[in-house]
Amino acid sequence: MSLQVWVRRTRTPEPASVKREIAVIEPSDLLEIEARDDPDASPVLCCTGESAGAAAFGGLWLKRIAGAGRYAAAVSVRGQGSTPAAPGGLEACAHDVVQAAIGLPRQAVLVGHGSGAAWAALAAGRYPAAALVLVSPQKMPKQPPRPVGEPKVLLAVGEAEAQSKEAQATAEAYGVAPLTFAGNSGDVFTGAGAEGLLDAVLSWLGSKD
Amino acid sequence: MQEYSSQAAYDRGEAVCVIGAGAAGLIAVKNLRENGFEVDCYERDTVLGGLWNPENQHSPLYPHTHLVTSRSQTEIPDFPMPDDWPDYPSAAQMLDYLKRYAAHFGLAEHIWYGSEISHIEPVEGSRFEIVVKPAAGSAARRLRYGAVIIATGHHWVPNLPSYPGQDGFRGTILHSSQLKDGSRLRGKTVLVVGGGNSGIDIACEAAVNAAECVHSVRRGYWYLPKYLGGEPADYALARLQRRPRWLRGFLTDRLLKGHRELSARMGMEAPDHKHTDEEPIRNGRYLEHVGDGSIQHRGEVTRFDGGEVAFTDGTTVRPDVVVLATGYKPKIGCCPPGLLGVDGDSPYPKLLARMFSPRVETLAVAGLVEPGVGALPIFHWQTHAIAHWLHIRKGDPERAANFRQQVVSESAQYAVDSTGVSPRHHLAVDAEEYLAGLGRIIDTLEQEPAK
Ligand SMILES: Cc1cc2nc3c(=O)[nH]c(=O)nc-3n(C[C@H](O)[C@H](O)[C@H](O)COP(=O)(O)OP(=O)(O)OC[C@H]3O[C@@H](n4cnc5c(N)ncnc54)[C@H](O)[C@@H]3O)c2cc1C
Ligand SMILES: NC(=O)c1ccc[n+]([C@@H]2O[C@H](COP(=O)([O-])OP(=O)(O)OC[C@H]3O[C@@H](n4cnc5c(N)ncnc54)[C@H](OP(=O)(O)O)[C@@H]3O)[C@@H](O)[C@H]2O)c1
Repeated sequence: MSLQVWVRRTRTPEPASVKREIAVIEPSDLLEIEARDDPDASPVLCCTGESAGAAAFGGLWLKRIAGAGRYAAAVSVRGQGSTPAAPGGLEACAHDVVQAAIGLPRQAVLVGHGSGAAWAALAAGRYPAAALVLVSPQKMPKQPPRPVGEPKVLLAVGEAEAQSKEAQATAEAYGVAPLTFAGNSGDVFTGAGAEGLLDAVLSWLGSKD
Repeated sequence: MQEYSSQAAYDRGEAVCVIGAGAAGLIAVKNLRENGFEVDCYERDTVLGGLWNPENQHSPLYPHTHLVTSRSQTEIPDFPMPDDWPDYPSAAQMLDYLKRYAAHFGLAEHIWYGSEISHIEPVEGSRFEIVVKPAAGSAARRLRYGAVIIATGHHWVPNLPSYPGQDGFRGTILHSSQLKDGSRLRGKTVLVVGGGNSGIDIACEAAVNAAECVHSVRRGYWYLPKYLGGEPADYALARLQRRPRWLRGFLTDRLLKGHRELSARMGMEAPDHKHTDEEPIRNGRYLEHVGDGSIQHRGEVTRFDGGEVAFTDGTTVRPDVVVLATGYKPKIGCCPPGLLGVDGDSPYPKLLARMFSPRVETLAVAGLVEPGVGALPIFHWQTHAIAHWLHIRKGDPERAANFRQQVVSESAQYAVDSTGVSPRHHLAVDAEEYLAGLGRIIDTLEQEPAK
């Protein structure tokens, strides 16, 4: 975020505050598996454009992330899940993601799926994410802001979407080569494709860049 | 440093030393780490948060201190405050916020508490040797760093006036930083001296808690309520900055006119300066307390006489407690004055862009400005620039030299002309201009080097 962008933002009305639904699973919550709680690993915060919001990550994602030793959280932005609707478009949703992030115990990885990727991208322009993960991004801003704190960025797209304009534009904007997973945007929450994707994301997060 | 020479300094290589773990120091540590530096932060007290932490031995907080700048104008740009907090958070929330910031970015592990830095000096060209004041019974420790950032704040040394007869006064005299607890005012006749934010806030506290409150100021001020036109006042005024200058002046005048007329009706001195010359006092309750008689507003104190205090208008009062809310003197004790561009015995450093030492490239000061707006964002952009600068200096000395030129030329620009208003405004900057200057500096630092 440049100083000029920040100045502009401080002179724009702040989106109305809403009580946000945030789902959390910590490694220590997982009784059945022996999770390695890694206090140095960054927490992960997920959001999706699908209307279920945080609940979409409840089945597989949060457990698996926590199973890998990370504090796992998902947020429903305004109008999703049990978070009340409130005015404000893209900006307000990005605001909700930032507000959820600052409430986590440590600097968090932002994971955005679908139009949630656009919110995560905007959020990373004003909050120094530990890393930014964009999964099948949709409705991305033409020029996403340069992430503050220069986090590493992962773009993951389904095989079916790999050649889409959106995927290519995003890859170019961040200067990264996309990682492809079996299936398409609709397959990220359940099934074998989803597990493969998650494992790839987690191993990327764990790797040194 | 003769006295320490018996013991070799421990060399921390290119690591950076930050002095002070108040808001400015914490933000510096975070931004330096983000730029890949190893950092050691030394804090003389046993807690972080600086003046916002009442456990800090010398904290200047008084009862019910609240921010005078609103949340959106005060929060750190890349780590906002929770948006369900009030427009004007309390001192306790501010401390909570700084603690969250430190925890979120893992800063605590880089802070050494109970470690006062007593001296720093350049060695080997641009490196620094620092001396950690010994705890009882142990020897002073010396360490070497690639760079030093001083963030020791400037609200620790009370500025105390002296009046004829003061020594023989029978009541209690306190500086505002010693008040701490409102119970000292309860049921007493209280005289508050000084019309800065502290004096006005404490007068309002005494208005509701003390038996009688007399408030003395030596000149007229602008009083700005916390809300204007249904919005936090600083936000409302900042938004006007988007308008052309002439319109801004007109609109601001209109916003402030009512309060000016009110203070005139109450027989208070008219400010002898324009509202743009000095930051207005940010307190809307004050005029109401004067209006309902719970604060008696007086001119300057002329003398103390036994149990009595006299004012320029000839009136007197017999206070039990006198609170001198007469501000602070900036003091950076650990650094040779020359490195800060101080000439003669002036306490006011002359830094490049209000942050870089004019003498040594690897020495900077964060937080030595009175911006009249939220201070934390200014600290953020200052330390963002300093960290970037140190980073570039490491990799590309030639670019660093060109940059230095630019900073020198920027430096002349944003000193508010404080002549005539008050010496306490030496550290004041016009936030708009200062931020614009910081923006230009940062843009230059972040431009891709010309190949
Ligand atoms: C009563 C009051 C109210 C204020 N209200 C507002 C407000 O509403 N909004 C706003 O934006 N600003 C406000 N301010 C301005 C305030 O200065 C900043 O908000 C900010 O807290 C200053 O932070 P700092 O880190 O520069 O200094 P400090 O908070 O003073 O921290 C400096 C730290 O350095 C340590 N230290 C000092 N010397 C040494 C040494 N030699 N070695 C090691 N450690 C050392 C100190 O112990 C301290 O912890 C207020 C100031 C006061 C006094
Ligand atoms: N709630 C808050 O957020 C809050 C609260 C308090 C303070 N602050 C900040 O903290 C800083 C310090 O504030 P402060 O109010 O303690 O100090 P200050 O702003 O320096 O004000 C000191 C006051 O004492 C007067 N004074 C100084 N020397 C005097 C003398 N010899 N005789 C008579 N009067 C004298 C000054 O008059 P002149 O104006 O003529 O110099 C001024 O009115 C400021 O930046 C302030 O904004 C913020």
